[in-house]
Amino acid sequence: MSADTDVLPGAPASGRTDPQAVRKHSPLYRRRTIAAWGFALPFMVLFLAFTAGPVLLSLVMALTDLKSRDLRDPLAVNPVGLQNFADVLADPTFRKAAANTAYFVLVGVPLTLAVSLAIAVLLNTGITKLKTLFRIGYYMPVVTSIVAVAVVWRFLLRPDTGLINEVLGWFGIDGPNWLASTTWAMPSLIVMATWRSMGTLIIIFLAGLQSVPTSLHEAAALDGATAWERFRHITLPTIRPTMLFGAVITGIGYLQFFEEPFVMTQGGPLNSTLSVSFYIYNQFGFGNYGYAAAMSYVLFIAIVILTIIQFRALGERDEVPRRKRFRRSATGAPSATDAPTGTATATASATAARKQVGP
Amino acid sequence: MNRTVRIGATVLAITALGLSGCGRGDDGGGDGGDGAAEPGEAVEEGEAAGSIDVWAMGTEGEALGAFAEAFTEENPEAEINVTAIPWDAAHDKISTAIAAGQTPDVSMIGTTWQGEFGATDALDVTPDLIDDSAFFPGAWEGTRVGGTSYGVPWYVETRVLYYRSDMVPEPPGDWEGLKAMAQAMQDGGAEYGFSAQPGGTGAWQTFMPFAWQAGAELTNEDGTEFTFDSPEFVEALTFYQSIFEEGYSPTDLPQGELEPGFIDGRIGSFISGPWHIGILRDTGGEEAMANLGLTTLPAGAAGPSSFIGGANLAVFKDSDNRDTAWKFVEWLSRPEVQAEWYKTVNALPSVASAWDDPAIADDEYLGVFAEQLESAKAPPAIPTWEEVASVIDTELEKLTKAGTDPQQTATTIQERAAAIGTGL
Repeated sequence: MSADTDVLPGAPASGRTDPQAVRKHSPLYRRRTIAAWGFALPFMVLFLAFTAGPVLLSLVMALTDLKSRDLRDPLAVNPVGLQNFADVLADPTFRKAAANTAYFVLVGVPLTLAVSLAIAVLLNTGITKLKTLFRIGYYMPVVTSIVAVAVVWRFLLRPDTGLINEVLGWFGIDGPNWLASTTWAMPSLIVMATWRSMGTLIIIFLAGLQSVPTSLHEAAALDGATAWERFRHITLPTIRPTMLFGAVITGIGYLQFFEEPFVMTQGGPLNSTLSVSFYIYNQFGFGNYGYAAAMSYVLFIAIVILTIIQFRALGERDEVPRRKRFRRSATGAPSATDAPTGTATATASATAARKQVGP
Repeated sequence: MNRTVRIGATVLAITALGLSGCGRGDDGGGDGGDGAAEPGEAVEEGEAAGSIDVWAMGTEGEALGAFAEAFTEENPEAEINVTAIPWDAAHDKISTAIAAGQTPDVSMIGTTWQGEFGATDALDVTPDLIDDSAFFPGAWEGTRVGGTSYGVPWYVETRVLYYRSDMVPEPPGDWEGLKAMAQAMQDGGAEYGFSAQPGGTGAWQTFMPFAWQAGAELTNEDGTEFTFDSPEFVEALTFYQSIFEEGYSPTDLPQGELEPGFIDGRIGSFISGPWHIGILRDTGGEEAMANLGLTTLPAGAAGPSSFIGGANLAVFKDSDNRDTAWKFVEWLSRPEVQAEWYKTVNALPSVASAWDDPAIADDEYLGVFAEQLESAKAPPAIPTWEEVASVIDTELEKLTKAGTDPQQTATTIQERAAAIGTGL
């Protein structure tokens, strides 16, 4: 905001090298300042009008008792302070929705990461033929409309005629009525969400895996390390930034999970698949705008907390090994020829993750 | 650091400024919670003139433009601009229009939204131009918010019993008869004799007729307090639960299984509105229709009843051409126009005398709906109804699937509904 006072608006190179920098309060300085603000103006106006403004207004909204009846005169509402937040936290349905969402995130995120990583490793090493075909195949669910996906999955999950119960029947297992069971509805949605979102992660992990130096693998193999040991001690530490990025975007997406219950179960049976986002959507639909806005902020805080935890768990442990790695690659790195683009992508994605959500 | 403090202070200041401008006035225009009817302003006589914008949803929206040409022929000076809106987007679009003060002159409004929009004070009070006695009483009641009518019923739908006429000789007349019929059907090979919605969105529409049949009232006289915790309501809940517990109705019927099940004879009967005639014909063809019987819902201790739905027409207060708007609404509620409208989009007339038209009177199925409409009731038109209804949906699901005690269910619904309030 006040950055313009620190950095002179002249060309940065001349500003630093030229001893006769433009003095403050000179006409030239003022003209340049005006020009700089002029260039920044289109973005500033759009940002304030469509991003900062609504966010600020929603915060104000969360502190009032705004309801649908106030639509004609939105200023005629009573400020209620933090009452909405207190009500949200005491609301038994919200607690149920929060527990469901936590279940979905705690099971869904690790599952999605594990499955995506496993498939990415297979694609990276095991499968050499038809690689593109597999990549397209795994990415298809990401670009398919959720409505079409829902129809197909509902057919798959049907109690009597569904494919899943049919297959279970071959092994003598009497499958449940997946979507109508309070026990199985949520796991069904978790599997569906995993299937839907693993495509993007596979692509990201594939990029990350290409930055793993093959020479390290070869050296470890010569020393007698098994495939699992090499994966555990070479692949995993190397792609940790990629893992962080994957965990963060999946975590954010899953905390806001909405589409799956919306198209598959409508939150039922017995609210067992009601998510926080879905409950917020319902409350907006009932016209409880202030209450719903307060709930949105609670969800937002949960997302921030989860992201911080992920950065703590998967982020840089300490600076020393990282610097070592850099030095190694700087001193004629063995893997320099291997996949320089892969390294770039992995680093870029980690940076992007930090930029996107970093507090 | 310093900057953070400054930004924080700015945010707080803006928030405080925003809030100081707030505060609810006492006038509260639309919310006459005392039940006193607000009189509507008179509409000028003579031909309609000028242009009006009309919003309508679904098939109605697509067909109304061409249909309104008959009105503009009678009133050459008038112009009707119809905008078709998809049902999914309609509620938000109307809310946004009210918030922005950019409302159309006339809009179709779903009956369950009437309370919400009526309380915003954006709708015009129905003038004397409209004769309320011409409509089905249940439908007219649905336009009244806090005692004042804010619109006109345009078309109606009600719920009747669909049953397999080849499986039982006589349709049931009362609650016990319903169970006896279901039992007879199951003895004859049906998997379930009856299918009621065990919970989930809209389950209240299937359950509420039973509550009304038992004599339950959902709110007190002036619509300011809920009265769910009554012996009649508990009686209806007990019966509803027993339908599931005694195995007459499935609790986990997957979406889309009802119609094929009914045609195959696995499901003997269900409750639904007029649209199911078309769905069954599309699914099973004419041979399925031969086994279809329609009858009014079985009566309870307090007589027959059913749920009445449909759509209303409302004129907005901000309309620049209020007179023409009301004249158009009045024209749409004339019996002969209503009958014509039925032939156009199959929407059942809300005006009772329109049912004498041969196109409706001679239909083999529609007579049942006409009879049912006489006793059908609308849910209270209160701003919070959709939210209260979702509470009922949730508690019904607990009742039918988790076996919650009916008295406990009634108490919970009452408590949660009271916490939500009627919003009047």
